Amino acid sequence: MYGSEFDGSAAFSGGGFMPSQATQAPDPSFSTSKNRDSQSLLPLTVKQINEALLTSDDKSNFSIDGVDVNNVTLVGRVCNRTGRVTDVTFLLDDGTGRIECNKWVQEFVDSNEVEGILEGMYVRIHGHLKGFLGKRSLNVFSIRPITDFNEIASHFIDCIYVHLYNSRLRKLQGVGVTTQPQMPSTSTPMMGHQATSVNQLSSQYGNVGGQKNIEQMVLDFLQLPASNADEKGVHRDFIAQQLRVSVDKLMLAIQNLVEEGLIYSTTDDFHFKSTING
Amino acid sequence: MDTSSPSVFVNAELLRMHVGKKVRAVVHVIQSDGEITTGKSTDEHQLIVKGLPHVSLMSYVEVIGIAESDQSIRAETWTNFGNTFDTQSYNQVCQLANGEFKGLFL
Repeated sequence: MYGSEFDGSAAFSGGGFMPSQATQAPDPSFSTSKNRDSQSLLPLTVKQINEALLTSDDKSNFSIDGVDVNNVTLVGRVCNRTGRVTDVTFLLDDGTGRIECNKWVQEFVDSNEVEGILEGMYVRIHGHLKGFLGKRSLNVFSIRPITDFNEIASHFIDCIYVHLYNSRLRKLQGVGVTTQPQMPSTSTPMMGHQATSVNQLSSQYGNVGGQKNIEQMVLDFLQLPASNADEKGVHRDFIAQQLRVSVDKLMLAIQNLVEEGLIYSTTDDFHFKSTING
Repeated sequence: MDTSSPSVFVNAELLRMHVGKKVRAVVHVIQSDGEITTGKSTDEHQLIVKGLPHVSLMSYVEVIGIAESDQSIRAETWTNFGNTFDTQSYNQVCQLANGEFKGLFL
């Protein structure tokens, strides 16, 4: 049956037009009016925010690891909580620094939410990063107490992962662009503005070290004029032999490259060509 | 209470690098007699925590305070993390936060 063969969510999950689940804004009401870039949600430490660069032209935009920062998610303890009728302000201390947070209380749901937030409590917040007169603060959309404290460790692992991911992406762009303007990473999670779900990332880039190099080698090899001479492309066994890698490893790399649209199989499943030179 | 300075994630091994500074550690409580609490750090060494109230045995407690020596912490604040906790992941975070990714934390 058609429906059982076509897994829509899998097919589109890397498509860039669909925010992955982990990055989806917690509250749809505020995201509808904004463009897609500002919907991304970055896990950050307060230290990163305090060191974030202000992009010069627009005073309210921050950039971390070369990525524009709008919406962020943080985990930390609530300090100096001050509640008023209209809003609640507090400092969030995540152990790397402190940042002022502000949550407007407009509806009954909001006041219920903030009343449960007490001084000293660990919370996960989602909010919008603002800069005003050099001071950084968060406009909080959602705040909820942490009940499983493993979330603290996992949040910081997320921060590390996204940092690694974004900074590595930039390095890749620096090196790889000479041969191809749009960069190997045209597959979307790489577009930088989106903090992709960790699952998605790790499946593609969990193997950053070794596999990545093989991919680059394969790509370089297939871009050689000699490899382009034959219409049929190059047989995988020949690539494996030339690059001195096992066919298993090679096929993993090839699979990734095919998924990224950088190479394609020609007359059968064993011959491959680079998409760049024809 | 001064919480303005960052508090570093530590296990017992990393504690010695931060004596006199503010740290945070998770300990698995073995003994608690009011003034001194003994517990196991996330890297399975014994740590002494001073200034904690009576906490239930075998619970995981996060302590934020000043590192007094390479195996004792004077607690300023503490949070009970309950009876189950993934110490391995936390221990890894301690190592990453003091190692390769120090820049994100300190």
